[in-house]
Amino acid sequence: MPEHGVPEGVISREDLAKLAALFDRSEYALDPLSLSAKEAESQFEDEVLMLFRERVEPHYSSISFTVFRCKVRSLCRAYLRQNSP
Amino acid sequence: MKTCLNFDDLLQINRPQIDEMQRVGESFPDPNSPSACEAFTQQVRLVEGLLRQTYRVAVALTKKTEDLREIAEIWSHMSDFCNSTLQALVSLKHPYPYCGTPQLYDLALDYKLACDKRHRGVLEEITCQSTEFPKGLFPEKI
Repeated sequence: MPEHGVPEGVISREDLAKLAALFDRSEYALDPLSLSAKEAESQFEDEVLMLFRERVEPHYSSISFTVFRCKVRSLCRAYLRQNSP
Repeated sequence: MKTCLNFDDLLQINRPQIDEMQRVGESFPDPNSPSACEAFTQQVRLVEGLLRQTYRVAVALTKKTEDLREIAEIWSHMSDFCNSTLQALVSLKHPYPYCGTPQLYDLALDYKLACDKRHRGVLEEITCQSTEFPKGLFPEKI
C-alpha cells in the first residue's frame, strides 16, 4: 500500500530503493575496482533491464531502454541524496 | 570554520606530487641503482595514495551534488588527473620496472576508465533530462 495515499508507480518506491542501493555500491564505491562495486554494477544493469522488459516495454512503447536507464540512474541519485543518513 | 576547498583546489594541491615523482625518476643517471629504486618507490607510493584519496573525494562530492553538469565536470577533471599520472609514468615505467611503477600505471589507467564511465553516464542523464515520462511510470514521491 502506498505511503500517505501517494500513488505508486509501475516502478515502485521499493524497486527504486533496491536499485539505489546497488547504484550506491557501484557508482559511489570508494574503490571502483573492488569486487563489490563490480558485482553491484552488474546486478544494477540486470535489474534495470529486467524491469524494462517486464513492466515498461509491454506498456510504454515510446520509451527506449536507454532513456529508461538514464531516468532510473537520475532517480537513484535523488533517492540517495534524500534518504542517506 | 566555514572556509572550504572545491575539487579544483584539491587537484591543484595534488598535481605537484605527480611532477615531483617525475622529477625524482628522471634525476638518477642509473635507474637500476638501489638508491634510485628506493627513492622512486617512495614517490610512487605517495602518488598512489593521492590517486586513491582524490578519487574518494570525487565520489563524496558527486554523491552530494545535485547538479549533473557539476558531477560531469568532477569526473572529467578526475579523469584528467589520472591521465596526468599516466603521462608522467609513460617514460618511467621501463627504466623502473621493479619499483611499483607498472602497478601504479595500471591503477591510474583503471581509475581513468572508471572516471570516464561515470562521466559518460552523467552526460547521458543530462541528455535525458528533457524527456517527458508518462505519469504513473515512476513513484511520485521518492
